[in-house]
Amino acid sequence: MKKILLIYFLSFHAISELTLEITQGTEDPYRVAIIKFSGGDKATTDIQKVVFDNLLRTGEFTIFNNEDLLSIPQIEEDIVFNDFRILDIDFLIMGKVEDDGLNIAVEYQVFDISKAKKIRTSTVYGIPNKNRQLAHYVSDGIYQEITGIPGIASTKILYVTEDINFKLLISDADGSNEQVLLESTEPIISPSWSPDSKKVAYVSFETGIAKVYIQDIASGNRQVAVENSSQISSPAWSPDGKFLSLTMYQDGNAEIYILNLKNKNLTRLTNHYSIDTESSWSPKGSKIMFTSGRSGSPQLYELDLKKFNSRPKRITFDGNYNAKGSYLPNNEGIVFVHRADTNFQIALKYFNENFVRPLTNAQMDESPSISPNGNVIVYAIKDDGMGLLSGVTLSGAKFRLPASKGAVREPAWSGYLR
Amino acid sequence: MFFLKNKLNFIVVVFFLASCSSMNVTEEKVYSGDVKTVKASSTKSSNVNYDSMAVFANATVYFEFDKSNLTSKSIQTLKSAVNALNENSSIMITLSGHADERGTREYNLALGQRRAEAVSDYFVLNGISPDRITVRSYGEERPVEFGQDETSYSKNRRVEIN
Repeated sequence: MKKILLIYFLSFHAISELTLEITQGTEDPYRVAIIKFSGGDKATTDIQKVVFDNLLRTGEFTIFNNEDLLSIPQIEEDIVFNDFRILDIDFLIMGKVEDDGLNIAVEYQVFDISKAKKIRTSTVYGIPNKNRQLAHYVSDGIYQEITGIPGIASTKILYVTEDINFKLLISDADGSNEQVLLESTEPIISPSWSPDSKKVAYVSFETGIAKVYIQDIASGNRQVAVENSSQISSPAWSPDGKFLSLTMYQDGNAEIYILNLKNKNLTRLTNHYSIDTESSWSPKGSKIMFTSGRSGSPQLYELDLKKFNSRPKRITFDGNYNAKGSYLPNNEGIVFVHRADTNFQIALKYFNENFVRPLTNAQMDESPSISPNGNVIVYAIKDDGMGLLSGVTLSGAKFRLPASKGAVREPAWSGYLR
Repeated sequence: MFFLKNKLNFIVVVFFLASCSSMNVTEEKVYSGDVKTVKASSTKSSNVNYDSMAVFANATVYFEFDKSNLTSKSIQTLKSAVNALNENSSIMITLSGHADERGTREYNLALGQRRAEAVSDYFVLNGISPDRITVRSYGEERPVEFGQDETSYSKNRRVEIN
């Protein structure tokens, strides 16, 4: 089964908009037949292709198209389940696109071959010029129906590029539909989403020093998070959206604080002469993880916010550089930048295991960000000195996002938008 | 009616048919996700000190990877800067700390700050008023060399005194 998956992915390498580079593939991918959607116009073809790419990129599917099948049903009543069973196909997808030039909608159905029955019928209504987003909703519905986990094709990624200027950009999870949130002649770093994915926080050097800004995506309204003359950086939203953890440099050294967004009160969390920065919140908001140099090299530490005056507890011990950690959404482990010897890799550590699992193997991988369903990690790589974005799924598939203009870095994955 | 008349940006209706308990029936509408572009106008003050005497205090000192302690070579450089600052008490200086690209961006921002603070501490210990010193960090965001080798990295781990 592994072999089939590999050949299949490679054969689509040339036509796929995404550069797919499967390193190991899923152990046991779902075998899914997607009948050519009825509708017939260009929108139908485009939508189906996006759905196909989205599902393929998860690394969890082997996809069969019309030409791979024994029979091609046009309507539900035509389905010969046995023709699909012979090919070991688990699920069958049928869809139709209704496009009157003004409004567009996709109706799709999912059939369970082993049970010989329909398990889902859904309709997604589009809005003008958002056919890709419509296709992403279809993919996410199919993905969720088959795997039981919400899909992430309709989520967004925030990232920074540098060519002549620095830009903060937002795109679909597959790198398409890129839009500029902020453009500046000075560096922009550390973008972060609000939990409702309606606002972003980031660090801009536009005044000459690092400052944290909060910007509303739809209106473009923005404000400085803390009015203060010193450098401020590394914003991270609490899961309830009420607080922002930050790194402040009031006494010259990096220390972590929590800002109450409503009353602007600041609470200091760390107090150590070494560097403390890169805070992130546990899924329920009860803990904060951060990078600290207090042991002599950067390592990850955790603070329990529920306990009064709790001391930071070191949580990484393997490797000489462990930094920028984030929690898996199910709180079963952490993803971070790890250096065992000389190379910086993205690594995963489950709390119930006593070893680190490297997820990548290049030399300069950084800025990992986890998809809201916990299945995919997007991160920044250096390819011939040029910054690009890459992704790895926990099931082992790897992919690259299409190159944007200039050096691309610091991806941050949104929450669910559907 | 095939198309929803509803102009709401975002609706999701998920219900289960009672007659067919194991089948999901859903209807949803695509979220518009509008984005507004903002241009940040830089209000950064020029770090060029036009006082002719300031030129004598201009210097760059270098650091080891993940370190912020001053090397003996750096101290030689800083001694001349202290002399220049003592000779003209009107000179104000900005210390900009930088890091090489290895490691995470925020950690490097903090590291650049530590390096600039180390230089600031040296000046203050040698009698320069802290009021004359501005400290800031660019982390790894403003390299002077773009190679991915130790020669380039060593030139980027620096504090610029202007």
